[in-house]
Amino acid sequence: MLEIRNLHARIAEDGTEIIRGLNLTVGKGEVAAIMGPNGSGKSTLSYILAGREDYEVTEGDILYNGESILEMDTAERAAAGIFLAFQYPVEIPGVATMQFLKVAMNEQRKAHGEEELTTPDFIRQVREAAGALNIDMDMLKRPLNVGFSGGEKKRAEILQMSLLQPNLCVLDETDSGLDIDALKIVSDGVNALRSPDRAIVVITHYQRLLEHIVPDTVHVLYKGQVIKSGDKALALELENNGYSNIIKDAA
Amino acid sequence: MPAVQETIDQVRQIDVDQYKYGFETLIEMDKAPKGLNEDIIRFISAKKDEPEWMLEWRLDAYRRWLTMEEPSWARVEYPQIDFNDIYYYAAPKNQTGPKTIDEVDPELLATYEKLGIPLREQEILAGVQESKVAVDAVFDSISVVTTFKEELAKAGVIFMSISEAIREHPELVRKYLGSVVPVTDNYYATLNSAVFTDGSFVFVPKGVRCPMELSTYFRINEKNTGQFERTLIICEDGAYVSYLEGCTAPQRDENQLHAAVVELVALDDAEIKYSTVQNWYPGDSEGKGGIYNFVTKRGDCRGANSKISWTQVETGSAITWKYPSCILRGDNSRGEFYSIAVSNGRQQIDSGTKMMHLGKNTSSRIISKGISAGRSNNTYRGQVSAHRRATNARNFTQCDSLLIGNNCGAHTVPYIEAKNATAQFEHEATTSKISEDQLFYCMQRGIPEEEAIALIVNGFVKEVIQELPMEFAVEAQKLIGISLEGSVG
Amino acid sequence: MNMQSKRPITAAEQGLVDSFVNRLGSLPGDQTITEIRDGYIEDIKRDGLPTRRIEAWHYTDLRSLLKTVPQDTGDTAGPVEPLVAGSNVLAVAAGQADDAVAADGIQISQYRDALSDGSARSRMAVHGADDVIGRLNGALTRDGFALDIADGVSLEKPLEIQMVQGGGQGHARFPVTIGAGAKGTFVERHVSVSDDSALVSSITDLKVGDNAEIVWVIAQERGLQDTHFGQINIELGAGATLTLFVANSGGELVRQEIHIRARGEGSELILRGVNLLGGQSHTDVTMTLDHLVPNCVSTETFRNVVFDRARGVFQGQIRVAQIAQKTDAQMACNTLLLSDDGEFSSKPELEIFADDVQCAHGATVADIDENHLFYLKSRGIGDKKARAMLVNAFIAEIVEELEDEALIEALEARFEEWLDHHG
Repeated sequence: MLEIRNLHARIAEDGTEIIRGLNLTVGKGEVAAIMGPNGSGKSTLSYILAGREDYEVTEGDILYNGESILEMDTAERAAAGIFLAFQYPVEIPGVATMQFLKVAMNEQRKAHGEEELTTPDFIRQVREAAGALNIDMDMLKRPLNVGFSGGEKKRAEILQMSLLQPNLCVLDETDSGLDIDALKIVSDGVNALRSPDRAIVVITHYQRLLEHIVPDTVHVLYKGQVIKSGDKALALELENNGYSNIIKDAA
Repeated sequence: MPAVQETIDQVRQIDVDQYKYGFETLIEMDKAPKGLNEDIIRFISAKKDEPEWMLEWRLDAYRRWLTMEEPSWARVEYPQIDFNDIYYYAAPKNQTGPKTIDEVDPELLATYEKLGIPLREQEILAGVQESKVAVDAVFDSISVVTTFKEELAKAGVIFMSISEAIREHPELVRKYLGSVVPVTDNYYATLNSAVFTDGSFVFVPKGVRCPMELSTYFRINEKNTGQFERTLIICEDGAYVSYLEGCTAPQRDENQLHAAVVELVALDDAEIKYSTVQNWYPGDSEGKGGIYNFVTKRGDCRGANSKISWTQVETGSAITWKYPSCILRGDNSRGEFYSIAVSNGRQQIDSGTKMMHLGKNTSSRIISKGISAGRSNNTYRGQVSAHRRATNARNFTQCDSLLIGNNCGAHTVPYIEAKNATAQFEHEATTSKISEDQLFYCMQRGIPEEEAIALIVNGFVKEVIQELPMEFAVEAQKLIGISLEGSVG
Repeated sequence: MNMQSKRPITAAEQGLVDSFVNRLGSLPGDQTITEIRDGYIEDIKRDGLPTRRIEAWHYTDLRSLLKTVPQDTGDTAGPVEPLVAGSNVLAVAAGQADDAVAADGIQISQYRDALSDGSARSRMAVHGADDVIGRLNGALTRDGFALDIADGVSLEKPLEIQMVQGGGQGHARFPVTIGAGAKGTFVERHVSVSDDSALVSSITDLKVGDNAEIVWVIAQERGLQDTHFGQINIELGAGATLTLFVANSGGELVRQEIHIRARGEGSELILRGVNLLGGQSHTDVTMTLDHLVPNCVSTETFRNVVFDRARGVFQGQIRVAQIAQKTDAQMACNTLLLSDDGEFSSKPELEIFADDVQCAHGATVADIDENHLFYLKSRGIGDKKARAMLVNAFIAEIVEELEDEALIEALEARFEEWLDHHG
């Protein structure tokens, strides 16, 4: 589903290279964890997948379902089924969460040539998805992410993910700022989305999240490259021994 | 290229030429000769069949106007106006005043239909909307029809053109006209006092809650014509009215002058809610043509516990010079000003409000949202003052500016004057652009860029939109989208 | 402007012209300087003093506020104790600086000499027709110091420039150039040593070199009868950091102008002001800040306390040029209006031509918060004491942002003394 080939990318503004020859393949139905120390380029990778224009791809390619997405803008990628759950979801004052959800869902439907949702259908879908994530409908009347607690923001991200039904989910440090109960709810939400047709990329610093969202593969990112790949045992090894051994081996 | 940069380029390319209401109605007009002198004023007064006192009032204003100088303090630039190169009176032939709907020239009815203004009462009644809106339609210098007059009269509400009111209710007009905006208040107000042609008159008697929304729809159609409307709204003790005003004009290469005066009087416990959606032709992207909108609007909270609320959505006009204000004279009175001002192309806006706290325990609230794009300049200018005897005066002001693109300007000029230790004034202002983070977030959810901008801008102005009556709110939101993007809406 | 020329000349305007005429021949300057002086006095004669119709003087109608002008006795008094003990002192009245000041890398010269040989001419431009302080000072200035701090020099002790007045008139100018990377604390102090009324104008031109780190304090403590016209013109170089602290606690009619141009990228301005206003005084602080280049940060916070029949004015205008992207400018003006007969007017303006900026301003006017007062009283603190504590806290918040403990103590002591008199 996702194939990253020898990707090089830099910050558009000052030319700092962040991704330096990254290779990664994630198949349908697979849950891949990307781990790495601070500054290894994890978040940058998620932004590049989503098409943030602050980064320039200088070499290599990103194939999604076999086709390059580099020429697609952010909204087109989203409509094609790529979803990014942000580490720090942004606040948008004055835009009610419900309104935002409706616009997003309908824009994606429009892009797929589908009819817009009727209001009752929309509300029914939101109510169901929100219930599963323990989200109070009152919260959704508030402006998007404005004044949400850390946990509320993350749950709102997962809510959007479940409503938009993407094919490729990228979760950027979704566990940060969550207490254990919230982590459980969010993980259950993600696990509910696991399906043979969907790939999930979990970017995380810690093993903790991977106890709840058990990955099929684990990849270690360091200085903009995948330096080691393995199964979930690799994550445990990292937890116990830290990154230094693997970094040494790779060097 | 960062995403926002691209947006900026797009917005830059979009002309203000998207103006939807730029068509012209071809109809035979009855005009006064071009120019301004005492004879023209006599002509206007005679056309309107006015009593002698009204003519004298006008002439007095004219003579005073001759001694005045055009104000130059606002941040707007325009070539010298030749006041003798303007028609001061233009009315559709055979239309000397409002008639019943069946007598109105079909061409005019078609015009209002095209503008989306319902004039046929039965159509409104048959419509989907449950709420009724009474309309006074002013076409150039004259009111062509006023709807629901009879039904309103049953409730005791007088709603008619000001010309009619001068003839039919001279005692009321005489008592209140010029009592809020004095004849010599400012250059344009004085000019208006001399040459005003039509506008609306509303009188809501003691204890009456006006049973429907009232509205006036202003249309400038004729070339080289100035529109000088005069609106007077009075709410007696405990009365309430919500009034809406809309404006459009055809697309023309020349600049046209619109110098209106609006006076509101709220007596004890009365409340007036005045909403404007101003969409005069803004000129093209090069700044050619467009309306000069030089308007004096003021409300007098004359009675205790009275309340006046101004809400404005300003997207049109080449130049806007407008400060809807409140005199908070009555104890416990309250003034509100909610404003959205969108400028694009070469538009220049200098707008804001004045809240004059005179009575005890008065309060005011100002929420202003300015959005500048293109090569426009958008200035908020506001004054909040507490008089020495205005104990416990309260004001809260929030004034936010949003810049789209790097060739426009956003300016904030507040004057805050406290002469009373019990006054509490709070003023906050911010200037920023749409953040790339917000845009990226929206687009990541599949919302295309233009839609995303519209969504964020509408969020930015939400607090003000909420203040508009429902039907207007939807319109206003669309209008803001159109003003900024053309295609988005 | 036209309107003004039709008006009769006021006593004060005449007084200023007379001061000039009486001094003719004794004001230092070569031919060019004399012509410039002449030009300014003509401007004042022609335009008169500004009224509120001139936007820059909207709240300070000088024409009606300046009633009389004291005789120009020409006497300035000797130096006083510095604000911060142990500072080096340069007093306008004292003439030569002492040796401790003129250390390596610090050059001091008499401004009088620059006037006499004509080299001061480049300093005498005014900001425009509404720059009355520039005109007045340009016409009448005769004293001052030019200070030159060489690149990389760090001043060990604060340097205090004093303008001490004992009635009469004083007009001085202080061109100060801070070299690249230089560091130091400067105090510009305006004091009166007699009850005779004085009229003073003082202009400082402060050029802060690249990456310099400077603290500049303006302490205006003039007498109750005095008129004080201060102006500081600042240019900030790239990467420079300037902490400017402006404290007004004296004078009857005061106008302090602050004009700042951020000319080098990456500069930071920290501007703080305290205005303690009492009696019948009228105090106007007017600031213009031009962000002319990208990536500069500025914060401006003013705290005003108004007693008695005092009137205070704050006008602050931040202008961000089109190329000045990523400017971050935050301005706040907070006033405690403690008397029903007092007044405070503020006009915090933003003029923004660049889109990628964060600019904000806030202004509040209020009395002491009743909840705070109640809380203190509930702990057994008397009303008067509680109020004094809250007023002190209101000011202390920004004084304590300064890093220099000795400076903080000196300013707080000065403010407490003032408040004891007025509270």
